[in-house]
Amino acid sequence: MTLAELTHPRQDYSYGFLDAFARRELRRRILKAIAIPGYQVPYASRELPIARGWGTGGLQATLSVAGPQDVVKVIDQGADDSVNAANLRRFIARMTGVETTTDTARATIIQSRHRVPEERLAEGQLLVLQVPDPEPLRAVQPDSSQAREMHADADYAQMWLSLYEQLVRFGRFMQGASYPVIVNRRYLMSPSPIPRWDTPALHQSAHLTILSAGREKRLYAVPPYTDVRPIEFDDVFFQVEDQAGRVCMITGAAQKFMDELPQPGGGSRFRISDTGYVEKLLAAARGEPTAIGPTYYDDQGRFWMPGVIRGRGDGDS
Amino acid sequence: MAYVAARGGERAIAASEELHGRLSGPLSGELVRAIERQLPYLVDRVMGEGSLYAPELAALALAQTGGDLYEAVLLLRAYRSTQPRIAYAQPVRQGELRTVRRISAAFKDIPGGQILGPSLDYSHRLLKLGVLDGQNVELGMLNVELPSEQETSSADEHSAFNIQHSTLPAVADWQRAEGLLEPLPAGEPADPAGLPDVTREPISFPAPRAHRLQSLARADTGGVLALGYASMRGYGMSHPTVNELRLGYAELTLRHPVTGVAFSAGRVRVSQAEVVDTGAGKPGESPLRLGFTATIGWNEVKTIAGAMLDLEMSAPDPHPAHREEFVLYHTEPVESSGFCIHYKLPHYVTFGSALDNLRKAAGEGRREGETLPEATPSAGEAK
Repeated sequence: MTLAELTHPRQDYSYGFLDAFARRELRRRILKAIAIPGYQVPYASRELPIARGWGTGGLQATLSVAGPQDVVKVIDQGADDSVNAANLRRFIARMTGVETTTDTARATIIQSRHRVPEERLAEGQLLVLQVPDPEPLRAVQPDSSQAREMHADADYAQMWLSLYEQLVRFGRFMQGASYPVIVNRRYLMSPSPIPRWDTPALHQSAHLTILSAGREKRLYAVPPYTDVRPIEFDDVFFQVEDQAGRVCMITGAAQKFMDELPQPGGGSRFRISDTGYVEKLLAAARGEPTAIGPTYYDDQGRFWMPGVIRGRGDGDS
Repeated sequence: MAYVAARGGERAIAASEELHGRLSGPLSGELVRAIERQLPYLVDRVMGEGSLYAPELAALALAQTGGDLYEAVLLLRAYRSTQPRIAYAQPVRQGELRTVRRISAAFKDIPGGQILGPSLDYSHRLLKLGVLDGQNVELGMLNVELPSEQETSSADEHSAFNIQHSTLPAVADWQRAEGLLEPLPAGEPADPAGLPDVTREPISFPAPRAHRLQSLARADTGGVLALGYASMRGYGMSHPTVNELRLGYAELTLRHPVTGVAFSAGRVRVSQAEVVDTGAGKPGESPLRLGFTATIGWNEVKTIAGAMLDLEMSAPDPHPAHREEFVLYHTEPVESSGFCIHYKLPHYVTFGSALDNLRKAAGEGRREGETLPEATPSAGEAK
């Protein structure tokens, strides 16, 4: 036996890129975040070889928990094949040796920018959402020290006020994506810029969600089976984006979150935003054996868990 | 390597990077050495913002990015974040700096003297067009006798910064002795390993002084200048004077892990600026207040503007653009530039979500005379 045999082969970078101290810090912060659902935990946030603001928060969370046995899916705006998703996936695979997939059901870790997949996530799955701005109060209080005090006091009056103002001015709530939610009846939380269509998927979910903002150095979590409620009034309800009348030009499916594609002569066509789901629908249409999991919304646009979305006249309330 | 879902996107990435590389030409060790030797101020700026003193790596980063400053800084930072802490250097005192340039605007003369040193301050900003016609502009053609009796820095023997230097007392020491400034805290300087470290822990506000000075040291030069200039031009509460500006070499002193003997591991270029505020003396307090910024590398604009911002941030009720949180968050070069360019990423999901609201508001919910909202009310939405 020689000394060379006993030593590790040379590595340019640590496993998962992050050094052991950074990894330990992240894991501890993640545990704290899970213990206090919706609470923003500050962390040091190391620089990664990816531009800041391009998913470095999600990336640090993924890199700190991924092991060789994991199967990772990365999506951006619902798409596996966008350049940014491809780039992050390439980096994660290069640094951890994980298997990668586009199949939501097979993935143990799903890192996503701005979407939750259409197929329902299950126990044991981890959804990592990239977060540009962790502070749901930023629009009403840009000073982060004061916003922290407001969270400590659960003082969210200004949010209700802004909701009311929207109602008075426009006759409806005008918040698009990043619709603020109350987690576990305590903390106001930004669910990251997922569309409102995806917000109910976080409520009493079987999976764990970690939300991580690398640039802003904050991470927070929604543990499995935790209440996540969009802010709304008792008589005016939160509404998801209306997908009625939209048919996917590729699969012919309806009542999934659609990308709108403007057409040269005017008007629009639509395609399902979740490309992994589209792949499965196409495979099934070709008669290939495909296991399509249950989805959050059925073909009539009804959310799977009754009573969660109150602002729809589709009978599930 | 496990199965990777190879898609069109990955080929596009490779081709795009290749094209970028071809436009800036081949990389070579020669190019890197030329940048390191002949563009020291650029190398210094990248090292300062990258917060890693490594002239060769900074030159490589500049060469590799075709001179894109923010990309070069990010390269250096990403490399830095993989490096372990081997040891902590001993604190450097101002008076021990091997100073090559040192200016005080507060006094006509100061103990140790004013030293103009290397500078373009009094140069005529004329392009040396003759160079384009093949004329060589060499150092020495000015026929200026440079003093040579002082020792030269061995660490920088082959660099463009091979300049005489001397150790000089701090101007502030004299002011402290005169009772014009608060005395320094008594006792030994803090244990370097125990200092709050902004690269290892998140910053929160009000920030520890160490975090503030570290953030300024690695801040974006342009950003610090913009906010600092706003203060100088009239939005500031203070009316500072440059007490002392210094460029020099700091001895990197380590203690041997076994014997405990202090030794020098080399010298690094550093710059620092101290400004004094003459307008805010309260009864019972020292009449002058100090603002301070230091950085690795020689960067006069950043240290002067940073020192003024340091004063502003400590003022009781600064202008919103000079509050600590505002200054430190918004002058972070890697975060600000990264977030700026992230707007190139697709945002069609968030845009679609906003469009849903706008169409609905335009249809049902709109009242008589109400116009379509130009943007969604929440600023935090489509990022």
